Amino acid sequence: MTRYDLIVVGAGPAGLSAAAEAAAAGMRTAVFDENLKPGGQLFKQIHKFFGSKEHKAKIRGMNIGAELLGEAERLGVEVFLSSPVMGLYKDREVLVRQGDGVCRYKGDAVIVATGASENMLTFPGWTLPGVMGAGAAQTMMNVNRVRPGDRVLMLGSGNVGLVVGFQLLQAGCSLAAVVDAAPRVGGYGVHAAKLARTGVPFYLSHTIVRAEGTDRVTGVVIGEVDGKWNVISGTEKRFEADTICIAVGLSSSTQLLKMAGCEMRDDGAGRLPVCADDGETSIPRVYAAGDVSGIEEASSAMLEGRISGAAAAGALGFITGDALLSRKAELEAALESLREGMFAPKNRGKLPDKTDVGLPVSASLLSRGYLGDAEVFEYPGVKRASGLHPVMECTQNIPCDPCRDACPKGCIKVRGGIVSLPELDEAAGCVGCGLCVAACSGQSIFLVNENAGDGGAEVTIPYEFLPLPEKGERGVALSRSGAALCPAEITDVKLLPAYDKTALVTLRVPTALAMKARFWKREASV
Amino acid sequence: MNMSVDRTRDFGEYVPAPDDDIIICRCEEVTKGEIRRAVRDGMFNVHEVRRFLRCGMGLCQGQTCARLVRTLIARELGVPPGVLDEATGRAPARPTEMYVFANEKMEGI
Ligand SMILES: Cc1cc2nc3c(=O)[nH]c(=O)nc-3n(C[C@H](O)[C@H](O)[C@H](O)COP(=O)(O)OP(=O)(O)OC[C@H]3O[C@@H](n4cnc5c(N)ncnc54)[C@H](O)[C@@H]3O)c2cc1C
Ligand code: SF4
Ligand code: SF4
Repeated sequence: MTRYDLIVVGAGPAGLSAAAEAAAAGMRTAVFDENLKPGGQLFKQIHKFFGSKEHKAKIRGMNIGAELLGEAERLGVEVFLSSPVMGLYKDREVLVRQGDGVCRYKGDAVIVATGASENMLTFPGWTLPGVMGAGAAQTMMNVNRVRPGDRVLMLGSGNVGLVVGFQLLQAGCSLAAVVDAAPRVGGYGVHAAKLARTGVPFYLSHTIVRAEGTDRVTGVVIGEVDGKWNVISGTEKRFEADTICIAVGLSSSTQLLKMAGCEMRDDGAGRLPVCADDGETSIPRVYAAGDVSGIEEASSAMLEGRISGAAAAGALGFITGDALLSRKAELEAALESLREGMFAPKNRGKLPDKTDVGLPVSASLLSRGYLGDAEVFEYPGVKRASGLHPVMECTQNIPCDPCRDACPKGCIKVRGGIVSLPELDEAAGCVGCGLCVAACSGQSIFLVNENAGDGGAEVTIPYEFLPLPEKGERGVALSRSGAALCPAEITDVKLLPAYDKTALVTLRVPTALAMKARFWKREASV
Repeated sequence: MNMSVDRTRDFGEYVPAPDDDIIICRCEEVTKGEIRRAVRDGMFNVHEVRRFLRCGMGLCQGQTCARLVRTLIARELGVPPGVLDEATGRAPARPTEMYVFANEKMEGI
């Protein structure tokens, strides 16, 4: 039996961070993951991440995974792939499938970072081919390069539903609707707005009545629900669709912790391990980090992993005294700052009604997925100004701030902590470099010039679809709700290396529509 | 944590529901109706229903249905799902062929 100072189960953001932290302290560390590729959820995530710079915000998830793996390997961590862990026993003994047999390993400390699996929902027809978890659709698209279907209905308006919905559009699918039984959009407003402006309708307070089809999905019927989640008859609507994606939450993958005998608690939806602040379970030197100890985000998973890694190193004497205390304090403070804002774990289930600057949260954003044309001006990032300037349509307190230092000219100010809203500083002169537009993970920054000559205006939008439009190409400008506004010609398309693959597309519209036009579509597809 | 349901309570007769034929456990093809009936027949927790109907004991080992089954049993009993234990965690945590499970290598690769 091979012995390690630390064994980590799961090579997602939590596991890799834990391993890197421990190895940096000198621990001989092994990581086991069942997949062919390390990175956990990160390798499926082609979008730019939220969080702050220290938490690798604005970097695409898949690149964060690669960075973490590089760090862990440089520090001498042994990463074993295609190695499902089948058992966790007394005295931190780990049973791993490797090749055509099973091997036993022993860790002086064990960190379980097995993540989570998708919840399912049943309705007549849910076992038909074409019904799948949103995460499964994401794996098909982004890992295996297979388009899950042509026309998709997304059930669930949390961040997973919204993010995967957008990626389905990027993969060339059309989205029939985003449906959620809750009366408001569950995920970040900026993610919802990205979908809405392409014309995707939101049906809140709706659920799936049935999937149609005999040997595969051919359509789906949804209906409005009453206060008791029962479908109100007569409200049914039918959509053509060959795919239904379910994004109704995740459940922590706690099997190994239960098997080891860790004390569990109920959080209403499922059992979670009872953990100390550093992730230690009821069994000494067995830690839980990341989604397995409660569903959060990659940024918090990375910090939880590091905290557990440092704690394991401390418990075994690899770091001691002040070095240990200051490292833990630093990591814990960072984790606290992420857990602020209206979407923080402690605010889960509460209705976000006001931002921290006292502005009401847009009801339109929560119920339809986009901001109203008049109310946008209430937010500090949205102002009319002469000449070229950025417009930040970011109106909720989310843990995100790549915009804070994106602008070399200082046009964008974020006054408070990571969850504060961006503001426009009119005095600083915008030079149109576009860095802010490309840096915004929520694709909610636009450049507007209401006086672009000849009575027209120019609007620059982030654009992540292929093929890119060409300069001079004519199409249609769309509003925040995805409605066609006017014919619009593309006057510029920019794709600099610093933009990290987000193209900046500039369209010309009448000045009166400068604060309304937020997307562009080719004529052929309108 | 091992809360249990009062076995002396009368939960009433099984009443058929229109969606009883929906499959809950795909691997073992166990329907909603079978689970509802099992509860009425006296199987008051996840372990008992599981042993009786095999739901959650198929290839995916309950990855998909564990939560659905627990919620359904709780609803039949009129208790919050949190009252019911989850299925016991057992090795192998991932589906494994028997010949692999039996082939114990002394040294790791
Ligand atoms: C669509 C989507 C979009 C998201 N967008 C964002 C975002 O923008 N920003 C953000 O911060 N977060 C985002 N997240 C959340 C983030 O991805 C997760 O919170 C994060 O990945 C959790 O990290 P983890 O290390 O705990 O688990 P995971 O990333 O799930 O990694 C766990 C790993 O352990 C492996 N494993 C499990 N059991 C075993 C076993 N028995 N043996 C061996 N290996 C095992 C798994 O296969 C997996 O590789 C998103 C999630 C999804 C699904
Ligand atoms: S375009 Fe450049 S100069 Fe203008 S606000 Fe954005 S980052 Fe600043
Ligand atoms: S404007 Fe700033 S805080 Fe808002 S989504 Fe964009 S980068 Fe994040």
